[in-house]
Amino acid sequence: MLRSDRFLAYALILPVVAAVVAFVVGPTYNVATLSLTQVVMGMERGFGTLGNFQALAADPVFGLVLKNTAIWILGGTVLCVTVGLGVGAYLAIDSRMTGWLRALILLPWVLPDVVTAMAWKWMLHGQVGIIGQTLQQSGLTEGTVSFLGDPDMVMWVLVVVLIWRKMPLVALILCAAIRSVPDDQLEAARMDGANAVERFRFVTLPNIAFSLTAVTVISMIWITAEFALPWIMTGGGPANASQIMATYIYQQSFEFFNWGVASAMSVINLVMLASIVALYLYINRRSWASEGSK
Amino acid sequence: MGSVALRNIRKSYGAVEVLHGIDLDIKEGEFTVLVGPSGCGKSTLLRSIAGLETISGGDIAIDDTVINTLVPKERDIAMVFQNYALYPHMSVAKNMGFSLRLAKEPQAEIDRKVRAAAEILDLTALLDRYPRQLSGGQRQRVAMGRAIVRDPKVFLFDEPLSNLDAKLRVQMRSEIKELHQRLKTTTIYVTHDQIEAMTMADKIVVMRGGHVEQIGSPLELYDSPASIFVAGFIGSPAMNFVPARATGGRLVTEAGAPLGEAPVALSEGQSVTVGFRPEDIRLSDTGIPARLALIEPTGAETQLTLRTGETSIIMTTRDRVTHVPGDTVHIAITPGKLHCFDPETEQALRGGRQ
Repeated sequence: MLRSDRFLAYALILPVVAAVVAFVVGPTYNVATLSLTQVVMGMERGFGTLGNFQALAADPVFGLVLKNTAIWILGGTVLCVTVGLGVGAYLAIDSRMTGWLRALILLPWVLPDVVTAMAWKWMLHGQVGIIGQTLQQSGLTEGTVSFLGDPDMVMWVLVVVLIWRKMPLVALILCAAIRSVPDDQLEAARMDGANAVERFRFVTLPNIAFSLTAVTVISMIWITAEFALPWIMTGGGPANASQIMATYIYQQSFEFFNWGVASAMSVINLVMLASIVALYLYINRRSWASEGSK
Repeated sequence: MGSVALRNIRKSYGAVEVLHGIDLDIKEGEFTVLVGPSGCGKSTLLRSIAGLETISGGDIAIDDTVINTLVPKERDIAMVFQNYALYPHMSVAKNMGFSLRLAKEPQAEIDRKVRAAAEILDLTALLDRYPRQLSGGQRQRVAMGRAIVRDPKVFLFDEPLSNLDAKLRVQMRSEIKELHQRLKTTTIYVTHDQIEAMTMADKIVVMRGGHVEQIGSPLELYDSPASIFVAGFIGSPAMNFVPARATGGRLVTEAGAPLGEAPVALSEGQSVTVGFRPEDIRLSDTGIPARLALIEPTGAETQLTLRTGETSIIMTTRDRVTHVPGDTVHIAITPGKLHCFDPETEQALRGGRQ
């Protein structure tokens, strides 16, 4: 009886285990071994070398990629969460307008990445883009601006598009969190003499701290994994000025067939992502622990 | 300092008016209890005084200064909420000192005031704890401490004891009353519990449906209720009401059983609703015949449920009862303890005897 129960239990979890092995563990193992293998022209030439990592360290583009990735992930996350917090706080106000906006704001989310990227690429185009033209016609700029062609600007323009796309859900989650702050605490703060800013700072923010950290880490993971948006809009250009981890890995593997170097970068990327997730789990567990005695 | 005057307070939510012109004067240092059933407007009135609700009409004055348009922080009022409303991320000391911190008082001064308040409320050992580490009664005391440190002109309490268990409620009731006797701050206290109102108040305001039914001291309300509603609301077990008519200056039940001398002048044959309290009834040899339906001893006294025709009458007695349910007994009402109400308007009938 006990024996057959155990057999049944293993049989039931087998599909999941098989799927994880096939689609998670397998490829990860593959990439990890590949990163330690010398690859020339798409052909494997000997295992057990750190040559790929050394090549990366010597690659001047890789330094630029790291800097761009930092702007992409850190700048993107910070802006996404701060803008999301502002928008969420506004949406949390009860009125007919915010009721509609709460539904409308999700529109950027329902568009596929490719459509978003193409639409923004055209709007930001140096000659025919509507944004540059509008700026020129209104006299704010001398000529049209090549938003995606300027190496100093391109990374930040990408971040703006990223915010447009990722912020709405952050705003909605924070809106829900803000609306669940107990009214009586806010009223007590009013009686204690707190103005609107002080109520937000001393009552609302501490009450939504948990959602805020969760949303920060989640957007960090989303943004690290985001590939289509930068790849379609700039392809890493001009002159690698918008090359980030995700696009550089793609370029190295599928355009230059440098499997080994690409795998080495993937491993670095994986370690980065894993540390973000670990941080999330750590914060999560700690806040659960402190809530525990409630 | 600390007198409160309300003049013709009205409050509407859209087309629905929930306060229909409330007038109330509260003297400095007085403990006033607003009492009434759910939805009578007592909490709305309290929140209007606090400034958490804007009133639609009338004037609220503290010390003869109209404060209608002032925001809560400028009114010099502190409020204790039903759910305590403590800030969960602040320690007890921080919770209590929050208003002073917002007012930019020096830290040393904040510490001194918080310590003093904690001393009064017996919270000194708990100052570094967080609200989630406190029991319900302790949280309630912290909420009061938060009000005390501000040394406001008026304390407002919004059903502060309704989340506590029965034993703690009685204990906190006396603590709040002691606190008031010590600080002598004008207090307005909202409750739906008439026992809280009776035991704590200098002045009770009975509210119903957005109107004031009666204002008076606890014993005034008990001895001469202005309406059937007040008579039934104040006192436990509630007052008995029976339909009756007047004959020759005396009141008899509709079946003709004698109730006693009419307390007010009535015309011959006039129909009235007569009220009398359970403790003003005694068993006797003659009087109103009734069937004994239920005997409930509580130790000190015994509560009897009697049936006369359609109506049930509750009586309490300190004597030991030897009857058994089903017995027919006779009851008499202590002379001078009858209350007469108009059956139509439900208002008390006043006026001297003819």
